[in-house]
Amino acid sequence: MRIRRILESDHLSGWAFAFPAVFLIFVFGIVPVIWSALLSFQKTNLLSVPRWIGTANYQALASDPLFKQSAEHSLVYAALFVPLSVAGGLFTAIALNRRIRGVRFYRTAVFVPVILSTIATAIMFLWLLDPNFGLVNFLLGRVGLGPYGFFDSATGALYSIVGMTVWGWIGFDVIIYLAALQGIPPALVEAAEIDGARTWGMFRNITLPLLGPATLFLVVWSSINALQLFDEVYFITKGGPGTATYVVVYYLFSLAFQQGVAGYAAAIAYVLLIATLSLTLVQLWAGKRLVYYAS
Amino acid sequence: MKRFGLAAVVALAMVVAACGSSGGTGSTGPNGVVNLVLWMGYTPPPPPSLGAEFESLKSLVAKFTKLHPKIHITMEYVNNDDALQKVTVALQGGEQPDISYQYGTNMPQVAQASQVVNLTQIVKQPRYGWSDFVPGERDVATVGGKVLGIPALVDNLAVVYNKTLFAQHHLAPPGPDWTWSQLAADAKAISDPAKKIFGLTFPADGSETTVWEYEAMLWEAGGSIVTPNDSKAAFDSPAGVRALTQLQQMQQAHSLYLDFHPDAGTSESLFNSGKLGMIITGPWDLSAFPDVHYGVQIMPSFDPGGSHQTISGPDNWVVFNNGPARVSASLEFLRFLTSPQNLLTNAMATSDLPTRESVQKLPGFSQFNKKYPGAGLFATNLRNVLQARPQISQYPRVSAALGREIVAALLGQATPQAALSSAAQQANGYLAVTG
Repeated sequence: MRIRRILESDHLSGWAFAFPAVFLIFVFGIVPVIWSALLSFQKTNLLSVPRWIGTANYQALASDPLFKQSAEHSLVYAALFVPLSVAGGLFTAIALNRRIRGVRFYRTAVFVPVILSTIATAIMFLWLLDPNFGLVNFLLGRVGLGPYGFFDSATGALYSIVGMTVWGWIGFDVIIYLAALQGIPPALVEAAEIDGARTWGMFRNITLPLLGPATLFLVVWSSINALQLFDEVYFITKGGPGTATYVVVYYLFSLAFQQGVAGYAAAIAYVLLIATLSLTLVQLWAGKRLVYYAS
Repeated sequence: MKRFGLAAVVALAMVVAACGSSGGTGSTGPNGVVNLVLWMGYTPPPPPSLGAEFESLKSLVAKFTKLHPKIHITMEYVNNDDALQKVTVALQGGEQPDISYQYGTNMPQVAQASQVVNLTQIVKQPRYGWSDFVPGERDVATVGGKVLGIPALVDNLAVVYNKTLFAQHHLAPPGPDWTWSQLAADAKAISDPAKKIFGLTFPADGSETTVWEYEAMLWEAGGSIVTPNDSKAAFDSPAGVRALTQLQQMQQAHSLYLDFHPDAGTSESLFNSGKLGMIITGPWDLSAFPDVHYGVQIMPSFDPGGSHQTISGPDNWVVFNNGPARVSASLEFLRFLTSPQNLLTNAMATSDLPTRESVQKLPGFSQFNKKYPGAGLFATNLRNVLQARPQISQYPRVSAALGREIVAALLGQATPQAALSSAAQQANGYLAVTG
């Protein structure tokens, strides 16, 4: 009787329906997270028998100049990518939140780079920014500038990647901001107009606070995205020229899958996980104090 | 109850599907018939243009099984890039193939498997003609003094030059006794930065592509990559500095095109459109140059009368233990496959270089260079493969450090000496810890 009740309860059938998804998340999400935690305390190349070495991998990190460089590059990248893409997204969204002719076309055009594959984007930028044969240097040359090395220059490569990825992701920020802008109650805007508010005052005191939740989401999301920068580096610069674009995820990838140092790479992955988690918590904590929730 | 049942069945079906096993193993059947499984990375056609290597291997397998009716061979496709990973998994399940194609760089890892067959004593038998394989191939098949593979494919680097550009600048085509200073002078003469024409291209992504071209120069200058007992870096020597200085000077003279994306085929396109005087590359690239009148010459030496050393990246056939009957059948097949006559047949069908030196003395060999212009020089250039990269598991990490520093020197961020010292310091750290 009791078994029958358990079998017929909504709980059980609910879990049973959710099981395939839970199973996949467990196998491809939870298991690797735990497994790489174990790996980070081992010396292993994923082939031979692993050896337990305690916290040696984490200790080695402290005196690894390439890890330090990679972390610095990741931070510089995030410090540029997050404000540029979020502020750029806000500016573009406001520009596109008007009744202008062909606004649908512009909105689509802004979003197209987001759905393009990274590799396609990368190949396009490689040709555009080629130091010798690229269109950008050709046009800059016409106005007496350059030529610049872009991806091939040790000083400019990281900034070139910033430019390319901001271009690639700005459409995402625009879509989120457009949705938020259209969610601003017209009554508030009208009331402010009646009270005689000017454009800047309206933006500063009505629009911006009401966009707070969207901004918080975009800042958190872009920061995580930025710290995980990999595809563009892997495809375009391979960390180079020299070590100019070594970022944390590229470094750990090359260690684990090209150089057979998987345990050490797992330790780097965990340091990155903890850093990302801490940054997100700080952002959410600050968000709680600064962001105004209308409802 | 009904609802639960449906969900449970769906969930169970998914688990079963996810855990399904793959079959296909060799066996020793009745009447003494031996079934072998051969893992190889040659793609069958279509397109027909890419299927030549597969077709050639297939016809040699057919020829062999006709001669040996009691041996049956199943060819299974495994992408060469995944061969090490797949063998690792197969070994853990006891489902290893009898023969597997493996990159030379995989050998230190392969050597850690207990099921890999040690061929050291076997290849000593005269009928295997071990010494007929080029030294560089034999070195790559050997890990820690043990022979663990039979050479399957070989290539090497030589200089491909644009005959038209050389003639335009009234330069004599490079001869077999040329030197790096001649190459640098030719490159300087051909280069015209305003017209975007460069004398020589060099891969500068810091990958193994960068490193192995440099290593050929390092050896020619008299240096080596690591010390004889593999315990320390040895490239930070006067020879290493000489080789890197040569490249840096060419870069400073604007006669070197630094290719930061060698994977993207930019250098090949530029050479084929007449924008590059010379490219250091292997036989696989010759088909990428249909539009230029090109010649091929062996690598230059640093001093007149040098040995013009080059580098080779050979791949191996590795035999895994599935019982004595299958091991001896596998060895019989590999002996057949690598017999000089069959290597020549394969070379003519595919443009692959023959792995044995004696093939070049066979009467039919003169046809090889006629059918594939330039390939004949790459074949004879195998004589200049005198050394191999160290067969140690730390090599990829050592190479990565060296690659980064070579690029730093080429970009003028460090002197050759400082760059190599820094790379050596990093490499020594990696070499100090084993496996």
